Amino acid sequence: MADAAFVALSVLTVGSAIAALELRSMIYGSIALMGTLGGIAGFFFLLDSPFVALFQIAVYVGSIAVLILFTVMLVRRELIFKKVEDPRRRLAGIGLMLVFMVAVGAVVLDSGIKQVSAGGPPVEFTEIGEDFLTYYWPALVLMALVLAASVTGALVLARREEPDGAAAAAEIPAAAGEGPGAGEAGAEGVEHGQRAG
Amino acid sequence: MIDPGSTPMIVVALLGTVGVALPLISVARGERGSNSFYAAISLGALAAAIGYVGYQAAAGNVAPGALLSADVVSDDAFGGFFAIAMLAVAIMTTAGSINYMRRMQHHAVYYSLILLSAIGMVLVAYSTDLVMLFVAWELMSIPTYVLAGFHKRNPSSNEAAIKYFLFGALASAVIIYGISIAYGLTGSTNIAEVVRGFAALDPSMVPLALLAAGLFIAGFGFKMGLVPFHMWLPDAYEGSPPPVAALLAAGTKKAGFAAALRVVVMGAVALNLDWTLALGIIAVMTMTVGNVAAIMQRNLARMLAYSSIGHAGYILIGLAVAPFSATGSTGAMFHVLNHAVMKGAAFIAVAGIVTTLAVTHLDKLKGLGRRMPITALGLTVSLLALAGVPPLNGFWSKLVLFGSAIDAGSASAAASWAPWLAVAGVLNSALSLAYYGWIIRKMYFEGEEEKRVRSEPRSVVAVMVFSMLFMVGFGVYPDPIIQFAEFAAPAFSAGAGIVP
Repeated sequence: MADAAFVALSVLTVGSAIAALELRSMIYGSIALMGTLGGIAGFFFLLDSPFVALFQIAVYVGSIAVLILFTVMLVRRELIFKKVEDPRRRLAGIGLMLVFMVAVGAVVLDSGIKQVSAGGPPVEFTEIGEDFLTYYWPALVLMALVLAASVTGALVLARREEPDGAAAAAEIPAAAGEGPGAGEAGAEGVEHGQRAG
Repeated sequence: MIDPGSTPMIVVALLGTVGVALPLISVARGERGSNSFYAAISLGALAAAIGYVGYQAAAGNVAPGALLSADVVSDDAFGGFFAIAMLAVAIMTTAGSINYMRRMQHHAVYYSLILLSAIGMVLVAYSTDLVMLFVAWELMSIPTYVLAGFHKRNPSSNEAAIKYFLFGALASAVIIYGISIAYGLTGSTNIAEVVRGFAALDPSMVPLALLAAGLFIAGFGFKMGLVPFHMWLPDAYEGSPPPVAALLAAGTKKAGFAAALRVVVMGAVALNLDWTLALGIIAVMTMTVGNVAAIMQRNLARMLAYSSIGHAGYILIGLAVAPFSATGSTGAMFHVLNHAVMKGAAFIAVAGIVTTLAVTHLDKLKGLGRRMPITALGLTVSLLALAGVPPLNGFWSKLVLFGSAIDAGSASAAASWAPWLAVAGVLNSALSLAYYGWIIRKMYFEGEEEKRVRSEPRSVVAVMVFSMLFMVGFGVYPDPIIQFAEFAAPAFSAGAGIVP
C-alpha cells in the first residue's frame, strides 16, 4: 500500500516538476509547480509527519504558489522573459542531471539502506515548537532578519525609479559596465570630460 | 541554549537593529536623508561590533578555537577571528561606497543590506549547527543578490545578479541536500553530534556520509569559487558595482572557507582521511585555472575576480593538509584575513577609479600613477601583497601555507603528495606576479602626459591608507596576527580529541 502511494506520489512530483519547467505558458507552469509542492506534502504524510505536511500545503501550495500565479497574471509575460533557446545547453542540462541522479542513486543503493521500517510513532509536533524557542532560537532571530532583508531588497529591485534618478543611475552603469557599445561610449565621454577638466 | 549575552548574539542584536532601522529611518524622513548620514550610522554600528569582538578576544573572554559545541553557535576564537575579518571587509566596503553611492538612489537600503549580509557572514563563522549555518548562509547571500543587481538599468549588473542568484540558489539546494543526508544518518543537526554519529557509523553507511561531505564541499565551493564551480564568478564580480564586488570577493567568499573548515573536521576526522587528496587536487586546479585565466583578461575587475579564484586555491591548500599539519588551518585562516584586506583594498581602488574616471579597461589605466596617485599606490601595494612580495603581509601567510604543506609531507606518509601543493603554489605565485606587474607597469610607466585629477574620492583614499598600513604594518611585524590565528585555529589532527 505504502509502496503504491510512494510510486504515485513520485510520478506526480517529478512529472509536474518537469511540466513546470517545460510548459511554455507560465500560468500552466505555476499550476504544475503546485502539483510538485503538493506531492512533497504527500511524502510528509507517508513519513508520519502530518504537521509538516499540512504546513507544506498551507505555506507552499496555499500561499507561495498562489502568489506566483498572481504575479504571473499581473505582469505582462513578454516583459519578464525573452525566450532564448539553445538545444545544446538543454541537452547538457539533462545530461548533467542524469549523471547526478545515477551517481547519487548508486551511492544510496550501494549503502546499507535496504528497507524502510513503517509504523513508527508519529512525530510530536509540540517538540518542534519547543526546539525552535530553546535550542534553535538564534536561528529564529536570523530567519526574521532574512525576511527583513528579502523584503527590503525586493522592494528596492521592484520599485520604479523616478526620472531624475534614472538619468543619474544611467550615467554610472554605462561607465561601470564598460560593455561593448553604449557602455564604451559613455566611459569615453566621462574620461574626456575629466581630462578637459 | 546559547546565552543571549554571548559575543555573536550581541553582534546580531547590534547590527540587526541598525540594519532594520536604516530603511525605516529613510521612510520616516521622507527618503531625503543624505548618503553620508546613512553611511555614518552603518560605519558606527560596524565599528562598535568589531570593537566588541576584538575586545572580547583581547580580554580573553572567549574559548580557543573549538569548532564544536553543544549549542547552535559557539563563542570561540575561531568565530571571533573570522568575525573580525568579515567586519573589517564590511567597514571597507561601506566606507569605499560613500563616493560611489552619491549618484545612486536608495542609500539607506544599500547600507542596510551590507549590514545584514555582514551579520550572515559573521554568524556563518560562529555556527556549530547545520541549521544555524544554513540560515546564516542565506542571510549572508540574499542581500548580496540584491546588491549585485543594484544598478537596475545596467544590463551587465542585471546579468551579474541573475547569474549569481541562480548559482547561489543551486548552491543552497546542494548544501541543504547534504544537511538532510547528515541529519538522516545521525539524527541531529548539531555538528558535534553529527561528527560523533559519523565516527560510529556502520561501514555500509559510510558512502552516504561521504556523499554528504562531498555535497557540502560542492555547496560551499560555489561561494568559494573553487574550480569547477567557479564559472559564474568573473561575470558576477565584473558586473556588480565595484564596492559590492569587494564585499563578495573579500567577504562572502571567506565565509565559505569558515563553513568548509567546520565541515572538513566532520569529513576528515569522522570518516577516513583519503579524500583530503581530492581537496589537494581541487586546490591545484583552482589556483592554476584562476591565474592562467587572469593573465588573459583586459578588464581590471575581471582580472581581480580570476585572481581571487587563484587565491581560493592557495587557501584550500591549508584545508587539504590540515589533518596532517598543525599549521595548515593556521595558514588558511591567516591568508583568509590577509586576502580579505588585500582584495577588499584592490576592489575599492577599482571603485575609486570607476567613480572618478569611469574606466576599468587595462589600456585606459595608463598613467594612473599620475592621475590618482594615492589610489594607484594603494592598488600597487595590494597587488604586490597579493603576489606575495616580501615584506608585505601576503608573503607571510603564503609562507605559512606552503610551509604547512611541506610539513605535512614529512609528518605523514599518507600525505606524501602534500609538498607538491607547495610547489604548485610557488609556481602560481610567480605566474601571478606577471599580470600584477603588468597592471603596475600600465599605471606608472605609460602615459606621461596625464595630469592629476582634481580630487580623489576621499572615502576611497581613507580605505587605501588603512589597508596600506595594514599590509605594510603586518608585513613588517606579522607576529600578532600569527599568534591570534594560532589561538583561533582549530587543532584537528587525529588525536586532538574531537572524536570521543
